[in-house]
Amino acid sequence: MTKLKIALLSLMLAGAVQAESLHLTIVSTPQQREDLTSFSGIVVEERRALERAIKLALDEAKLKFDLYGIEPQLKTIEIDPAQPIEQQLSDLDANHLLLLDLPANLLKTAANYADKLDAVAINTSASEQSLRSDLCLPGVYHAIPSDRMYFDALAQFLVHSGWLKVLLVHGSSERDMERKTILAESIERFGGSISDERIFTLSHHPDDRDRNKPEFLTGRSSYDVVAVIDSELDFGRRIQFSTRRPRPVVGDVGLVPKAWHYALERYGAPQLNERYRNLGSTESSARLAMTDREFAAWASVKFVANSLNPTHLTGDGLNLRSLFEDKESRVDLYKGTRGSFRYWNHQMRQPILLATENYVSDIAPMPKFLHPTHYTDTLGEDQPESTCQHPLR
Amino acid sequence: MILWKSLLTPVQPYRIAALLAGLLTSLSAVGFELAVSNERSDEVLIHDERGKVLRTLFRCERPRDLHYSGETNSLWIACAEQNQVVRVSVEDGEILQTITGLDGASTLAMNEENLLVVSNERASTASVIELPEGKLLATLPTGYEPDGVAISVDHKRIFVASENAGLVHVFSTQDYSEEAKILTNLRPRGLAIAESELWVSTEMGSRVEIFDIQTLKKVDEIIFAPRGLRSEQLTPVDIIFSTDTRFAYVALGAANHIAIIDRQTREILKYILVGRRAWGLALSPNEDRLYVLNGLSDDMTIIDLDSRRPVASVRTGLVPRAVEVLQ
Repeated sequence: MTKLKIALLSLMLAGAVQAESLHLTIVSTPQQREDLTSFSGIVVEERRALERAIKLALDEAKLKFDLYGIEPQLKTIEIDPAQPIEQQLSDLDANHLLLLDLPANLLKTAANYADKLDAVAINTSASEQSLRSDLCLPGVYHAIPSDRMYFDALAQFLVHSGWLKVLLVHGSSERDMERKTILAESIERFGGSISDERIFTLSHHPDDRDRNKPEFLTGRSSYDVVAVIDSELDFGRRIQFSTRRPRPVVGDVGLVPKAWHYALERYGAPQLNERYRNLGSTESSARLAMTDREFAAWASVKFVANSLNPTHLTGDGLNLRSLFEDKESRVDLYKGTRGSFRYWNHQMRQPILLATENYVSDIAPMPKFLHPTHYTDTLGEDQPESTCQHPLR
Repeated sequence: MILWKSLLTPVQPYRIAALLAGLLTSLSAVGFELAVSNERSDEVLIHDERGKVLRTLFRCERPRDLHYSGETNSLWIACAEQNQVVRVSVEDGEILQTITGLDGASTLAMNEENLLVVSNERASTASVIELPEGKLLATLPTGYEPDGVAISVDHKRIFVASENAGLVHVFSTQDYSEEAKILTNLRPRGLAIAESELWVSTEMGSRVEIFDIQTLKKVDEIIFAPRGLRSEQLTPVDIIFSTDTRFAYVALGAANHIAIIDRQTREILKYILVGRRAWGLALSPNEDRLYVLNGLSDDMTIIDLDSRRPVASVRTGLVPRAVEVLQ
């Protein structure tokens, strides 16, 4: 064996001498994993567990992790929301990457606990804007886009298309009210306007029946487009093709802002979707793709694999905190632009797809919406607006 | 009134560019042809040196990389969806040779010792084929989405970039064993070799990384920063060198520019605006012109390298991928 070959071999094996564990723990609740059914009992959203997407990310990361001698270990903790969460997470320590697949209220408790442990916790599932300021903790990151990011993307698309006058039709739940306010802000921020707001109520009450008619809800106003906010994905389904005026519908139905889609045709996305479909499972169809929650989990694990370098390995093993705080850390998102976490509020910056059920119409940021430093930072709360201000390390 | 109207009609810039191109080429008539593969319209078109489409040479599903063989005046074409590489006569498009079993055939590399290397995107392998018979010598396992391939000048090593894994595999041509993996920045795409250097474009890393071909250590990197563009928009893909290896030309993808680089000093000499998502590159035989394929705007920009200015943009098929000079 030549000297050179020995040198190369040792280069290859350098990391492998000492095997390091990377503990990945999914924290979810049974409710979070159930499919979302509508008022009328139809499944309107699939809520698959995150395991499949994470296994895909680990499979893709294998060559690099092997070079560094990193052995990932994946487990899931299903917590009972009725019991104290801390107790149910007591096995965890700083070496864990926690993927929190939880609704906002439980997420807060779990994230606070994880931060105390010095672990890195990732919000894969809650897009609530308020969490980006309320959970301003050093060890907590948001991989799922925020409400603001989704709606900024939609608003840019509307303005770019010249659909400036928007009729806003929304539900009456607390979440709907919160989201419609953010959507209206986004539309106004990018130069559109709200021509009118209409509210609908989900009920069988005879008084509501007439009021809730889509033709009635979308009448008596002039508008270019109807934006529907319906977090439960229920009533909103009835609006499209039933509007008083012949106008497109966007928001939670029609053209929807999404983090991922099965029909994205560029940037290597078909290859990624194919790998996901083929990953050892009985569930497979041509349209099967990661949901936004799964994509967030996949992207978080890929972020670790893509960013990992020798400086993140200390005597005690892989230092996840240093990897996440490294300003050079980034991820290949298969969306044409790399992703990274905004240092001030730990939100993952990324392009947002504008998609119908079976087609990706466009990818925001849209042309001419320019940010002085980061291409994708016209989407979401920018640094000066954020109440969460982590320092740049 | 009519006069006013015609005066106010804006003069279309491409007309002027086309006119200029016409003037330039009539001054220095060279008379060679180009082949361009078009992934989405499933065709390989022949253009004249001014970019005009002359004829359709060949049709196959998702044609990607091309390689011209001067001895036989034939063209190698990777037909990705058909999982094969074909060699067709440039004269009449007749199939002269077919190599099958190349799952998602993507990028080609060839050397004087009659070695053909093909990256197989769907199979996550690279195939080593002996020419002229087309005998399969080895199947090299790679990370997901293998793309760029290169053979070292001394014929001892084969390099294959895995886009997904973020590394370049190094294989020995002696026994086809893997000698090493070179970790790169995000999404390595194009590989190019000049003297003792391996240049790797990292599409999502927005830079070209340069490795010593013997030690495989990183010796340098070139970070692109044309004015007015954010780093994330710079997605370098194809790299080619001038024959004397003095200049490197890099297509900057979504930044819609190409960069001209002094290879030795690493100085970026000029950024030139081209079409959308600049991708495949080729130099004219006397290296006075650079052909740039624009994958999103479905056209080809022709750059005059003396003035370092674009002189024309001409139409191609849909999603043009690779361009090869047929001389």
